Amino acid sequence: MSGNPYQDDHGNKDATITNPDGASGGMVASPGSDAKKHTAEAYLIGDSMTGGYGKTGPDILHDCTIAVNKGEIAVIVGPNGAGKSTAMKATFGMLNLRQGAVRLDGEDITDLSPQDRVIKGMGFVPQTQNIFTSMTVEENLEMGAFIRTDDFRDTMDQVFDLFPILKEKRRQPAGELSGGQRQQVAVGRALMTRPKVLLLDEPTAGVSPIVMDELFDRIIEVARTGISILMVEQNARQALEIADQGYVLVQGANAHTGTGKALLGDAEVRKSFLGG
Amino acid sequence: MDFLNAIVALSNFVLVPAIAYGSQLAIGALGVTLIYGILRFSNFAHGDTMAFGTMVVVLVTWLFQSWGISLGPLPTALLALPFGIAACALLVLGTDRAVYKFYRAQKAKPVILVIVSMGVMFIMNSVVRFIIGPDEQRFADGERFIITAREFKQMTGLREGLALKSTQGLTVITAVIVVALLFWFLNRTRTGKSMRAYSDNEDLALLSGINPERVVMITWLIVAALATIAGTLYGLDKSFKPFTYFQLLLPIFASAIVGGLGSPLGAIAGGFVIAFSEVTITYAWKKVLVYLMPESLEPSGLVQLLSTDYKFAVSFAILLVVLLFKPTGLFKGKSV
Repeated sequence: MSGNPYQDDHGNKDATITNPDGASGGMVASPGSDAKKHTAEAYLIGDSMTGGYGKTGPDILHDCTIAVNKGEIAVIVGPNGAGKSTAMKATFGMLNLRQGAVRLDGEDITDLSPQDRVIKGMGFVPQTQNIFTSMTVEENLEMGAFIRTDDFRDTMDQVFDLFPILKEKRRQPAGELSGGQRQQVAVGRALMTRPKVLLLDEPTAGVSPIVMDELFDRIIEVARTGISILMVEQNARQALEIADQGYVLVQGANAHTGTGKALLGDAEVRKSFLGG
Repeated sequence: MDFLNAIVALSNFVLVPAIAYGSQLAIGALGVTLIYGILRFSNFAHGDTMAFGTMVVVLVTWLFQSWGISLGPLPTALLALPFGIAACALLVLGTDRAVYKFYRAQKAKPVILVIVSMGVMFIMNSVVRFIIGPDEQRFADGERFIITAREFKQMTGLREGLALKSTQGLTVITAVIVVALLFWFLNRTRTGKSMRAYSDNEDLALLSGINPERVVMITWLIVAALATIAGTLYGLDKSFKPFTYFQLLLPIFASAIVGGLGSPLGAIAGGFVIAFSEVTITYAWKKVLVYLMPESLEPSGLVQLLSTDYKFAVSFAILLVVLLFKPTGLFKGKSV
């Protein structure tokens, strides 16, 4: 691939000698940028970000700005390959930024690793492999609260209030739950650190429309508790309906920005991304 | 026809030795399965890690014996065990720091770590032989039997005796304690749960703030303890010889794979499956059959399916059958 001999498994597919499960799925922390710019204040802002995966990878984002205000929902939509997830991962320190900055509550966090950003108050729910399948629902939540040294019982109760089904299935391995319930576990796990901003990467991918509506309702409830939410969504129309702020990305750059309603009403956005 | 004598003979020559051997394999396989789960490769150096830990136990036991310290009826090796575990922990942590850490930093594919562990295996192998020599060493002392065959015969008046060696009793008791402690640790403590989380999903564990280097360090510590305990129990029961420990790799890996790699419960079940198969297939059944069959049908030969020289073939055959028909092992381990 990259010519790195350590990354060459010489065609080994024998799982008796190497364990393919649960291994690093290629999430590489590569924070950092050289140039800084200034834009308006927002709770979390990925400001004029330009960059790509790896030190030498081609740029995927081009001067892209994503911001979310306190207690609001911001949604990133766009066609396939537009860099939606990439833009969100960039705000979480998983992309090599060559330009631009990421600020959380006015503080520059561009050079922090993803783990440090979690400590700063960011929660991230990956699109896939976002739960510990072999552990029970309750253990998943406990692991979410791993960095907390105080008593997290009340937070767990809050999560159970938000997702009552999880309380029912607390002793069941999370891998045995349905798609929608797994997503609830994933969001619940991220909420256990009491984040100030929650990043959701396609939370409704692969769930039925009914479950999707319910998940969106829950996400609105989370936002009402004062947590800012930045979300990438394939279901652009439904997502924009609940969004305070919407970002339409095309080829890694901001194409349209506005409130969810405004974007839904924009004839051009509707024609190109929402199917008329 | 004499069922009682047949059962006693069976227990004496098959059940008791197989339970003891199975416990030793289970503790060994637990170490292998933990490394596979957390560090994601099959540690070929495990047999020689056991040999190293046991070697330190043997040396410290001799030292204690020369000082006249003993545990009475129990083997002195029990006193020396903590020193063996400590030395073994230093060895594996040192190896991790000097060797494996470099490859983790490179995010090397696990198959490269497998080959690396083979190199480590050869080095540990040589170190052990260099220090204690390649010969067989005996270090068991204390009471040899809980109950001897003759005492049993006198007690019950049966023709067959049932001998219970103290090392066999010790092995089973230790195995139960070790397994209970390990499962309590993995399922009830925060650190144990973080190890399971890391094994399940490394990226998510990182996002949850679990420190991978700490998880790896604790894994090595537990593996060092398990390896030393397994090696010492095996050495007490049979004898200590570095090459035998290297050979133990096959039944230990077979146990871990039969049970399902990455599953601690599977490692235990696998250990007993392998042990019972090895012992029953290489046992000369004539004695038991003589009691069970009418005189006219008594076997003239030994009724031994395979000579004991072929015991490794048994593990290997079971390994092949499991891989062909139930690749995930008995306990839903990782698909192989």
